[in-house]
Amino acid sequence: MAIPQVAQNFAGSVTEVTLGATAENGGTRTSTVTIGGAKNIVHAGTPADSAGRKPVIAMDVLDVAPTDWPDELMAQYADVADDPAAWAKKCVEQFGADMICIKFDGVHPDKGDKTAEDAVKVTKDVLAAVGVPIALWGCENNDKDNKVMPAVSQAAKGENCLIGIVEEDNYKALTAITLADGHHLITGAPLDINIAKQVNILVTDMGFPAEKIVTFQSTGALGYGIEYAYSIGERQRLATLAGDKTMAMPMICDVGYESWRVKEAKLEGVPEWGEAADRGPMWEATTAICLLQAGADIIRMRHPRAVAMVKSYINQIWD
Amino acid sequence: MPANKKKKYTVTFEPSGLKVTVDEGTTLLKAANKVGIYISSICGGDGYCGKCKLVVDHGEFKTIQTGLLAPDEVSNGVVLACQTKIFSDIITTVPKSHDLQTGRILIDSNRTKASDAATIDPLVKKIYLELPKPSIHDHTADHERLYLAIHDHVETDTIQTGLRTIQKLSHVLKKSDYKVTVTVGHRGGTTELIDVEIGDNSKQNYAMAIDLGTTTVVAHLIDTVVGKTLDTEATYNSQINFGEDYIRRIIYGEENDAFDQLQARIANDVNELIVTLTERNRVDLSDITACVCSGNTAMTHFLLKLDPTGIRREPYVASADFVPPIRAAEAGIHINKRGLLYCLPSVAAYVGGDIVAGALATGIYQTDKLTLLVDIGTNGEVVLGNKDWLICASSSAGPAFEGSGVKNGMRAASGAIEKFRILDGGQIEYKTIGEASPIGICGSGLLDIIAQFVTHGIIDRTGRFADLSDPRISEGDQGIQFQIAPPMDGHDEIAITATDIANLMRSKAGVFASIRVLMASTQITSDDIEAVFLAGGFGNYMNTRHAIDIGMLPDVDADKIHFVGNTSMAGAKMVLLARNALETAESIASNMTYFDLMSHPGYMEEFIKAGFLPHTDLSLFPSVKFEKSKKT
Repeated sequence: MAIPQVAQNFAGSVTEVTLGATAENGGTRTSTVTIGGAKNIVHAGTPADSAGRKPVIAMDVLDVAPTDWPDELMAQYADVADDPAAWAKKCVEQFGADMICIKFDGVHPDKGDKTAEDAVKVTKDVLAAVGVPIALWGCENNDKDNKVMPAVSQAAKGENCLIGIVEEDNYKALTAITLADGHHLITGAPLDINIAKQVNILVTDMGFPAEKIVTFQSTGALGYGIEYAYSIGERQRLATLAGDKTMAMPMICDVGYESWRVKEAKLEGVPEWGEAADRGPMWEATTAICLLQAGADIIRMRHPRAVAMVKSYINQIWD
Repeated sequence: MPANKKKKYTVTFEPSGLKVTVDEGTTLLKAANKVGIYISSICGGDGYCGKCKLVVDHGEFKTIQTGLLAPDEVSNGVVLACQTKIFSDIITTVPKSHDLQTGRILIDSNRTKASDAATIDPLVKKIYLELPKPSIHDHTADHERLYLAIHDHVETDTIQTGLRTIQKLSHVLKKSDYKVTVTVGHRGGTTELIDVEIGDNSKQNYAMAIDLGTTTVVAHLIDTVVGKTLDTEATYNSQINFGEDYIRRIIYGEENDAFDQLQARIANDVNELIVTLTERNRVDLSDITACVCSGNTAMTHFLLKLDPTGIRREPYVASADFVPPIRAAEAGIHINKRGLLYCLPSVAAYVGGDIVAGALATGIYQTDKLTLLVDIGTNGEVVLGNKDWLICASSSAGPAFEGSGVKNGMRAASGAIEKFRILDGGQIEYKTIGEASPIGICGSGLLDIIAQFVTHGIIDRTGRFADLSDPRISEGDQGIQFQIAPPMDGHDEIAITATDIANLMRSKAGVFASIRVLMASTQITSDDIEAVFLAGGFGNYMNTRHAIDIGMLPDVDADKIHFVGNTSMAGAKMVLLARNALETAESIASNMTYFDLMSHPGYMEEFIKAGFLPHTDLSLFPSVKFEKSKKT
């Protein structure tokens, strides 16, 4: 007997968001990405009707050469680590990144304390080097981000970037400048669905359009809290499907950073765990695939082999 | 060196001039407690609340630095009483901020209309009897003769009498020519013949109704013959020195073996109220034949010296929820020596007789309408239901709306800001109790401030100040603050701090989360609720609309919300005047279903959701609209 096709219709769907602006929209991007649109939970319903847009991979580029990356990861970028523009170019041209996420680690007071001018230069260089849409992610020190990110936003005006992150106790400065410069905004919450919703309400209270928000619920790697990240992602999707407009945004996950700081991904000299060179990429890919099933729309990643595995998975499921 | 060889020193407290002699090394807080001076202390002497500030004018002492005092306070000789031990004679000044405000403690309770429904049938009554005299044809003994006559007046199966009363019976009957007044009291299923007096004294029967609050104690003197309240009086619960909430007091009692002391304090507070009322109204103490106390479970335990330690420990079980009537003298309450003390029954460790009294007074137990009763005291208790079912829960809302844990918070007394609003031009307008110059803010004022702040965009929905460049916002000694009133008439400025707002937010979130848990457990929505009774010590005035705007009460039509004041007292009075009301209270207490929020899986989530203005789920508050922040 054939398995009957059970279709369930929901009231809500994930908002479709297009990132990046080409020349005809006043930017200089050569490609854009559109995400969101899902009308069901991942894998449910018929793909054509309910799966929504393909999730995308945003590869991380740091504004400063990493000092604490494991050898296996660092080896991929040894030639470009000091040059964000070349790094971004490598990610797009050799590794097939859909987007670049510039992570401004170097402006953090404890990690180099670079200036707004430095950050603006990195932004402009990367925008000039690649044509894909860009995400601009602060150092997560509130005071410093409030100084640096408005300058970065301004420098990228017209490019329709994704800027983040704003949180419950620090959202006003960045929301205002993101709105003024016409970018999209990432709202962040510490693995708490209610606080996530509160931040969305706070920024829309300031006049920021809900349809230009992407949520970041915080990410836990495989073995390190992934179940929390998964269930929060799932709850966001279920709230969306139930018609909650304050939760109907696409979701971004930070898989690269979280995966590569766990000991299983980086520890060498443990033959019984398998090859160290394989473990890290596998850890990153597994974390990413799991969170894609929870409903992630953008995955921040680092290792090219992991990216290749995840792209293959996305293409099999969403095409 | 043996402990009893410790040197003794005298501590003088200015400006009262009270002196006390204590051992070397005693803390100033203990010394103050010993002499009965009130020093505000939330933590009960653990050194983390920073409230018990004193100024040492003269003498040697050692104090532990806590970081809770500002540098200029330290240089001005300010110390924390609980952290300061004395090593010589000491002269110390108690700052005015510790003075208990007199006046408007909420003593009114006539706003609940159910109270006049019952006919008067007091728990203890006096009956004048003219007995048929014994004769050759009537050999009935005096004792049984009296019982027969009582049976004609009181519906009861059993009458009991103590030996002492029986011993004096014949003498009184003969001396009075068989014309006597008997005092009979209701004790469960039986009636006790409490006293026999010569002649007709039946018109002199009085009773006390006591609201035994954690913070305030209120007493009403009742004429039980006509069922009228003659006078009212209130005082602060002097147990406050041992902790501002009852959990702290239980811990204090346990650690210091001080339950005797706690009992003596509360009994003394009640006795002082009784003396004040009887003297003022020229009522003889021996004519007060009954006392009804309505208090939370812990307060009832303190008064009766029941072991309260189970209340604060899992699985949170009281010594007794139902306590039979006892001789008032056994609890150290001075009324008629053989007068009876009744305590309203509790539902659970955290839902006490005060809430049962509230359910009784508001009539929630007999209405067809689905009703919500919310009592905001030091805790926030919630009852939901109607004549068919009642469920309840208690949240540790904290005493913020009673003014505790808020920088310029105070109880509803003269000089308290009780109304507050922001005019269209952005200016502030407020009204104080007694039109006095402002010295603090009481519950209704705090409620107004939060509601007006968020409606006018001064705070955002998380309760944080939206625009720090507002000239009224500054960095005060307790962090960022917003000035409500400038310094005037020798009083300091009145301000509300970011921390105060966070405390008030937590408080309202606790209350609303409790309401939501009860509603969710019964699949009830705001639209289903037909009446809301809001009780508690906010003050005498209350803007119920603001309680919806901040998300403390569900979004129902404002005309469904009734501010009912002190329902604990109202219920106590009903019981006093109607024997069947006590039975009703007992049936309410045993039929109410208690939801333990501490072990409820959904409570924390509801609490987080409610920690937003008005709520994370805006669809629960369709009628609430705030101005959008203008800053873009």
